[in-house]
Order: sequence, then structure tokens, then C-alpha cells
Amino acid sequence: MGKVKIKKKSTLIDMTAMSDVTVLLLTFFMLTSTFLAKEPVTVITPSSVSEIKVPVSNVASVLVSPEGKVFLSVLGEADLDTYDESWSSEGVRKAALREASKRYEELTGTKTNITEMDLEKFAKIGSFGVPLAKMHEFLQLDQSKQDEWLGDTSRKDNGIPMVDINYMEGDAPAVTNEFQIWMRAIRDKAGNENLTSAMKKGEGIAVKADRNTNYETIHGVLDNLQTIKMNRFTVMTALKTEND
Amino acid sequence: MAQIDTSGGGGKKKKGAQKKMAIHVDFTPMVDMNMLLITFFMLCTTMIKSQTLNISLPSNEKIENEEQQSKAKNSEAITMILTTERDKDGNPKIDETGHQKNIIYYYEGKPFVEDANKDGLIDESPDGYGILRSEKFLGNDNGVEQGIRKILHNKNKEALEKIDEQKKLWREKKITDEEFQAKAREIRNDSTLTRPVVIIKATPEASWESVITALDEMQINQISRYQIDNMNQVDSALITDYIAKNRK
Repeated sequence: MGKVKIKKKSTLIDMTAMSDVTVLLLTFFMLTSTFLAKEPVTVITPSSVSEIKVPVSNVASVLVSPEGKVFLSVLGEADLDTYDESWSSEGVRKAALREASKRYEELTGTKTNITEMDLEKFAKIGSFGVPLAKMHEFLQLDQSKQDEWLGDTSRKDNGIPMVDINYMEGDAPAVTNEFQIWMRAIRDKAGNENLTSAMKKGEGIAVKADRNTNYETIHGVLDNLQTIKMNRFTVMTALKTEND
Repeated sequence: MAQIDTSGGGGKKKKGAQKKMAIHVDFTPMVDMNMLLITFFMLCTTMIKSQTLNISLPSNEKIENEEQQSKAKNSEAITMILTTERDKDGNPKIDETGHQKNIIYYYEGKPFVEDANKDGLIDESPDGYGILRSEKFLGNDNGVEQGIRKILHNKNKEALEKIDEQKKLWREKKITDEEFQAKAREIRNDSTLTRPVVIIKATPEASWESVITALDEMQINQISRYQIDNMNQVDSALITDYIAKNRK
């Protein structure tokens, strides 16, 4: 009886080609990627046929959560070859906080206790939205605690307050609020002229809100922008076609 | 993992011939790791940047605003009042197609609020202007405008026809992109044409999406004169009246 010999076949597959492809893909993704900016609340923007892209530099974004809490983030000059260091996102944020806190102290008489250290920390923060009076406390926390604070919408001290601050403008009584103080500080005193002009033209202000949020909530924010003569701005949308 | 195969092809071996070494490196773990990294980057990146839509609100000084409103002819002015149906939790109701249930109430010209027979309901206006009607955002169906788009399209017909002519030239590559844009802008702002003036208002429960969709319709229908305004008592009264009439 002759035994039938079964030839043993090697099951090794050459993975070199596969590896090549994956490395190529990986390189592609690494080079083209821009990371999602971390935001305290996730919103789904409504879609529109507008094809204007969101600017990557010199823009102040106003994020409105469905509950009506307001968060801000500021981007300065991205290309710093021709500009001063103070025109960068970090520089702009520092100047804005310094100015906003100064103005807030002037108007309310409450101390914000913001130190140079706080300014340094603030420069690294993407989105922010706490009352100025609590900013010092906020900046003392570590990152995860800060995110928790911003993400917890049930907190009272979450979001930039739009509570009236009454003060005397010369002899006449005037009203403002922290949101207006912030927006004014960013537009006028942040030390970046490109940002100032972009905000005046309207392309430097981006309002981002969820598609389901009711108009009453957003109207509050738009009304504030109108009050400080920021009548022109952009809203963030997703792309859709005309037939939808 | 990596192995060095020294069998050299099997068969007989010649004496003195150098041993051929086939080196196999197993790339599977490498591929695994790469795949993981790719997945990570794919999930964390935003390939499509979000878009923006430009808005300009009227300044808070109302005078200029009202003047413009009163200047517009009955046939030109159209006021849209947006609202969204919401459920008990305040979330927008969704229709069968997955869209929000947005309603647009609109009237042409000045609002008509006379009630001569004193039945508590607003009468039919003699010329048809100023009567509240309702429409929906329906987009296009087989290239034909539907819903509110149809109404706006008809209002801005003259300008749209001219722009379509230019678009045709542009499609046939007879004019460049810039030329087309410049021409379109010129037509949009041509005061010799009958162009509508649209006033967009939104009730407190209207969704943000409905406001953006309304602004979008302005772009789609090439309407250059539009503004966002606040609701007033007349508008609320008209809606209450409309609902009362249609309940029967």
C-alpha cells in the first residue's frame, strides 16, 4: 500500500505589500489631518448651500449650547512670519483676558484676582465659558477638571453670563454684560489688527449652534451682538445640495 | 515572527554551493498596528471643514428699517414667519422624511387685520395681499421648485431668468467664473427689475435650522433684499387667527 503524501504548504502570506499600503494611507491621514477642536458641548450645525469655508485664523467663535450657554474661542494669526508674537492665538487670548478682566473690575467693582500665571494658562485654552469672577478659580484646576466644569451644563457658573451689568457711562446709566465685555475686548483690544478688521467685516465672528436649538435662545446671543454693533457675522453650517 | 529559511528550494544540494538564504519577515503585526493608527486618524480628523453663511442683521436703530419696509410695494414685500412643531419635551417633531416639521407662515404686502363682520376672525383681504398662508420647506422635486421655494422663485422670476441665461453661458464655458459671479451680482441688485423684499421673522420655538434654511432659500432664489426682524403683535395675532380658522 502506497501512502499518499500530502505536500505541506506554507500558509505564510507576504504582508510586505499590505504594509506598504497601510503606511502610505497612514502618512496621508497624518499629513492632511486637522484635529477636531475640543468643544464643551457637541452641536450639530444646520446645513446650508453656502460654500464659504470657515477661516482658520483671526476668528472669534461663539458656541451656543442648546440650553443657551455661551462659550467663546479665539484664534489669532496662523502665519506669524510677518507678524508679532502677540498676534498669535496665545497673544490674543492673553490680551483679551487682561482687557476683559480690567473692564469687568472697572464696571462692577469686583476683583477678578487674575494673575500673570493665569494669563499664561488661559493662553493655552481653546474654548472657555465661565464668569470672569470665577476665572481665577477655573484656571487653577487641571485640564480634566476644567473640561468637567465646561461640560456640566447644569452648573450655574457654566457659560459666559449674559446678566445685565449696570454702570454709569459719564452721567448716563448704561447696561452691558460679560459676553459684550468679552466680544468688545477681543475686537478692540486684543492687539491683532487683522482680527479686528475681520470681526468688523463679519467674517471674523462665527456663531455655532445646534440645528434643534430654538430661535429664542439664539436670538439672545444675536441681540447682544447687535447691541455692540456686530451686525455682520457668519454662522457655521454643514454642506448640502440645493435639492434637499 | 521573522524566520530565516535555509532549506534553499529543496532538491539536491550541490556541494560547495553557497547556501541561499530566504528571509521572511512576518509583517502581520506591523499591518495590524498601522491599521489601528489609520483608524485613529480617520476618526479624529475633520476632512470636510464646516461651511459658513454670512448674515447681516439690521442695526438696532429701527428708523431706516421701517422706512424701507413701508417703501416696498405690496407686490414686492413678503414676510415669512418661521416656526417649528415641537413635542412635549421641546424637541422638534420629525416628519417621515427625517426633516424637522418646520412651518412657514407668510403674507405678501402689509398685514391685513380688518374684521368688519365682528366674528373674531380676520376677513378675506380684497386684493389678496396681507393674508397669512402657510407653506413648508420642500426643496426641489425633479428639478421643479416646491413649497416656499416656488413662491419665492415666482417673486424673483425676472432676476432668476436673467441669471439662468448667464448660467447657461457659463456652463458652455463662454464666460469665466468671475464674469458670471459679477453678472449675477449685477442682476441681483438691478433696481429696474421687480425684486422681492423678504422679511424673515421667527417665533421663539422656531428651530435654528429653520432660520438657516430660510436664509438659504434667499441664496438659492438669488434674493438680495432680505432681513431678519423680530416678531410683533400683529404677526402673533395673524398666526392665532390662522390657527383658529384652520381648526374648523
